[in-house]
Amino acid sequence: MSLLTRKSTDLLHWIDYRLPIIQAFKTHMSEYYAPKNLNFWYFFGVLAMLAFANQLLSGIWLTMFYTPTIESAFASIEYIMRDVESGWIIRYMHEVGASFFFIAVYLHIYRGFLYGSYKKPRELVWLIGMFIYLLMMAEGFFGYVLPFGNMSFWGAKVIMNIIGVIPVIGEDLQIWVQGDFFISGATLSRFFAFHVALVPIILIAGIYLHVIALHQVGSNNPEGIDIKAHKDENGIPLDGIPFHPYYTVHDLIPVVLFILAFFVTIFYFPDGGGFFIEPPNYIPANNLSTPDHITPVWYFTPFYAMLRAVTITFLGMDAKFWGLIVITGAILVLFFLPWLDRSPVKSLRYKGRVSKAFLMIWTFCFIGLGVLGIKPADWAPEWVSPTFTIIYFAYFLLMPFYTRWETCKTVPERITANGQRSR
Amino acid sequence: MKLLYLTITLTLLSTALLAAESPVELLSANTDIQDKASLRRGAYLFINQCTSCHSAKYMRYARLARDLEISEEEVVDNMLRFGATKISDTISSAMTPDAGEKAYGIAPPDLTLEAKYRGVDWVYSYLMGFYKDEKTTFGYNNRVMNNVAMPWILASSQESMSEEEFSRDMRDLTNFMDYMAEPIKPWRQNFGKYVIIFLLVLLIPVWLLKREYWRDIHGLRSPTSV
Amino acid sequence: MCNDSNNELRNERRMFLTVTSCALFAVGGAGWITPYIRSWNPSVRAKAAGAPITIDLASIPEGALLVEEWRGRPIYIVKRTKEMIASTLDLNNELLNPDSEDDQQPEYARNNHRSIKPEILVIEGVCTHLGCTPKFRNKKNTNGFTGFFCPCHGSKFDFSGRVYKGVPAPTNLKVPPHYFADANTLVVGIDEERQA
Repeated sequence: MSLLTRKSTDLLHWIDYRLPIIQAFKTHMSEYYAPKNLNFWYFFGVLAMLAFANQLLSGIWLTMFYTPTIESAFASIEYIMRDVESGWIIRYMHEVGASFFFIAVYLHIYRGFLYGSYKKPRELVWLIGMFIYLLMMAEGFFGYVLPFGNMSFWGAKVIMNIIGVIPVIGEDLQIWVQGDFFISGATLSRFFAFHVALVPIILIAGIYLHVIALHQVGSNNPEGIDIKAHKDENGIPLDGIPFHPYYTVHDLIPVVLFILAFFVTIFYFPDGGGFFIEPPNYIPANNLSTPDHITPVWYFTPFYAMLRAVTITFLGMDAKFWGLIVITGAILVLFFLPWLDRSPVKSLRYKGRVSKAFLMIWTFCFIGLGVLGIKPADWAPEWVSPTFTIIYFAYFLLMPFYTRWETCKTVPERITANGQRSR
Repeated sequence: MKLLYLTITLTLLSTALLAAESPVELLSANTDIQDKASLRRGAYLFINQCTSCHSAKYMRYARLARDLEISEEEVVDNMLRFGATKISDTISSAMTPDAGEKAYGIAPPDLTLEAKYRGVDWVYSYLMGFYKDEKTTFGYNNRVMNNVAMPWILASSQESMSEEEFSRDMRDLTNFMDYMAEPIKPWRQNFGKYVIIFLLVLLIPVWLLKREYWRDIHGLRSPTSV
Repeated sequence: MCNDSNNELRNERRMFLTVTSCALFAVGGAGWITPYIRSWNPSVRAKAAGAPITIDLASIPEGALLVEEWRGRPIYIVKRTKEMIASTLDLNNELLNPDSEDDQQPEYARNNHRSIKPEILVIEGVCTHLGCTPKFRNKKNTNGFTGFFCPCHGSKFDFSGRVYKGVPAPTNLKVPPHYFADANTLVVGIDEERQA
C-alpha cells in the first residue's frame, strides 16, 4: 500500500514538473482563501457550473440523435423520447437543465446585487459574468428553436422580426441571419451550429475567465469586508479559510439538494408545469398558425414584457424600434453597474434606506415583469408594465445619486468570531 | 433584508395563485396512468374509434403491447389496422390528411401528442363535451370547441350507454392518450422515488461531513467520543 | 486545546465520512452515467429495421443467387442444383475447414451441406477476410472455379460457403440464424426455437 502511495506521489510530481497541476490545485482550491462567512447566496455559482456541465454532456449526447432539418427535427425529438434507449431522460436532463441553469444564474447575479460583488476590485468578474449571461440568452434562444414545435417557430419569428426593426439595415440583416425569407431549414441549420458549437465554446472560455478573474481578486462576502486587509505573518487573510476542504464539503450539501430538485422535476414535472416546455411546442411548427398565447420561455419574459410595454412613437421612430432600444438598454445597463454604484460600502447590509427600499421595489418590478411577460397582453391594466419598466431603469440610472447621498453604516474591520455578522 | 425576502416570496406566491385560468371550465379527467386495465381499455377504444380518421404516427404497436401487457399475437390479430403490417409499425389512420381536409375542412390531427398539447382535462372535457345543437349545420356542437369540425362519432354509443359507462370509457380513452403522449410516464413516476430516496440518503453523510469539518471554523471543540 | 487522541479520533471520523460520501457519489455517478451508455444501444427503430426478414422461396429459379438485406448485410440465398451439391462433396482436401468445426453457423447448419435443407443455402455475403461481398460463380469460367469468389483479395468459397485452403479468408462464410416457417417460406434473422 505504501509503495502504491509512493508511486502515485512520484507520478504526481512527474506531471507537476511538466504541467502545474499541484500548483493549480493550491491556487484555486487548498490555498484559495475565501471569507469564512459566505452564506447560501454563494452556492449558486457552483450550482450554475454544475448545471452547465450537465448541459454540455446531455447536449453532446442529444446531437447524436437529433436531426437539424425542418422535415425531421420535430420527429427526431419523438425518436429520442421513444426509440432511443434512455433517450427520454437525456432529453429531459437537457430541457430541465436549461431552466435550472437559468435559475442558478439569476440567483447568482442577484447575490451580486445584494452584496455589491461587482464593486472594485471585481469589475471584470462582473463584466465577464454579464457577457456569460448574454451568451446564455443566445444559447437558450437557439436551443428553444431546435425542436421546431410551433412555439419554437413563432418564438424564433418574433425574435427575428426584432432584428428587422433596426433602422436602414434591419430587413436585409434579418434575411441574412435567416438565410431565407422566413424561418426555414437554412435558419435551423445555422441555429443548430451556433447552439452546439460556437456559443458553448465561447461560454466555456467565458466561465474559465470568470473564475480566474475571481480568484485573482478573491471572493466578496455578505459583509462586504475586504479580508485581505488583515493578514497573518504568512500572508494568509485572518478571516479567510481554505476553499478546500471547507467550502468543498460545504458546497456538497446544496449540490445534492440541487440534484434532488432537478430529478424531482425530471421524474414528476418534466414540462415544468408548461413553463419549461410550453404546450404549443407539442405540435410541429406551422408557419400559417400562431399559438393562441405566444410567450417566450420563462427566463426571457421580463424583457419580453418590456418590449410589449413600449407603445409610443417618438422622434419619428415607431414603437417597435423603441421596444428594441428598451430591451437592449435593459441588458446593457447591467454591464455598467460597477460604475453606477457610488456607495462607499459594498453590502446592502451597510447601505442606506434608499438603496434597500429601491432594491426591494426593483425586485418586485422585475419579477412582476416576468409574470406580465407570461400573461396575455391584456391581463393587467395598461399602465403596469410601462411603470415597472421605468422603475427597472430608474433603479440603475438614479443609482449614482442615491448611493452617494444616503447615509451608510460603518463596515466593521473584521468578520467576527463565528462568522456571524456583527451587531 | 428580511423584508426583501418577504417581498420575493409574496410576489411569487401571488403569481402562483393567479396562474390558473381557462376560458371554459374543464371537467377533471381524474385518470390514473398506473392503471393498466384502464389503459388497455383505452387502447382498444382508441384503435377502434379514432384511427379511422386519426393517426398516432409516433406510437409503435410493439411499445403498446409491452407497456400495457397485451400479447403480441393479440395486437397483431386484433389491433393492427390501416396499412400497419408489423408489430413494430406505428399507429396509422385510414384517412389521408388530404381526404380529411376534403371531408371536414380540416385534416384530422395526429393524436400522439394531443394530451400533452391540450392537457388531459381538456381531452376528457372535449370527449364528454358533444351535445345536440340545432343551430349548427350538423346538428351538434362541443362545449370546449365551438363549431367543432369532428363528427360526433360517439353519438350512438353515448345514447346506448349509461352516463356512467360512457364517462368511464372516455376516461379510459383520455388515460390512454395521456400514456401515448409520453409512454415512459408511468415508468418514470414509479422509478423517480428510488432516485429521490437515494439522494436523501446521500445527503446524510454529506451533511455530517460538512458539520465535521466546520467544527474547525466555528471554533467548537470536537466531541471526545464518536 | 486538542490532545493527540482527540485529533486521531477526529481524523478517523473525517476519513470515514469522506469515504462514505465518495462511495455514495460513485454509486450515484454510475446511475447517472447509465442512460448515456444505454443510449448507444440500437434504438427501437434500428431494431425494427433489423427485424427478421421473410422470403418467399417459390419464385426463386433453381441454381440462381438471391440477395436479400438483413441488418445492413447482404444475405445470399441459393436454391442449389444437384450438380452444385455434388460439387461440394469431393472438395474436402482443398478446403480449410470442411467439417465446419468453428462457430460460423448455428448448430442446425453444422452438417456437410451447411444448411437445414440440402438444396437451400442461406449465408451472409460477407467475406470473412475483410468484409467484401463475394461474387457468385455459377458457370465454370476462369480456372474452372465455381462457388463464391471474393474480388477484393481473391478468397474462394464453395457452394456451401466453405473457404478454400491457400486464400486470405480464415474461416467459412457465416450462416445467419434462419428457419422455414413452411415449405416455401424462409425466415432469416431468427432461429426456430427463439420463436415464441
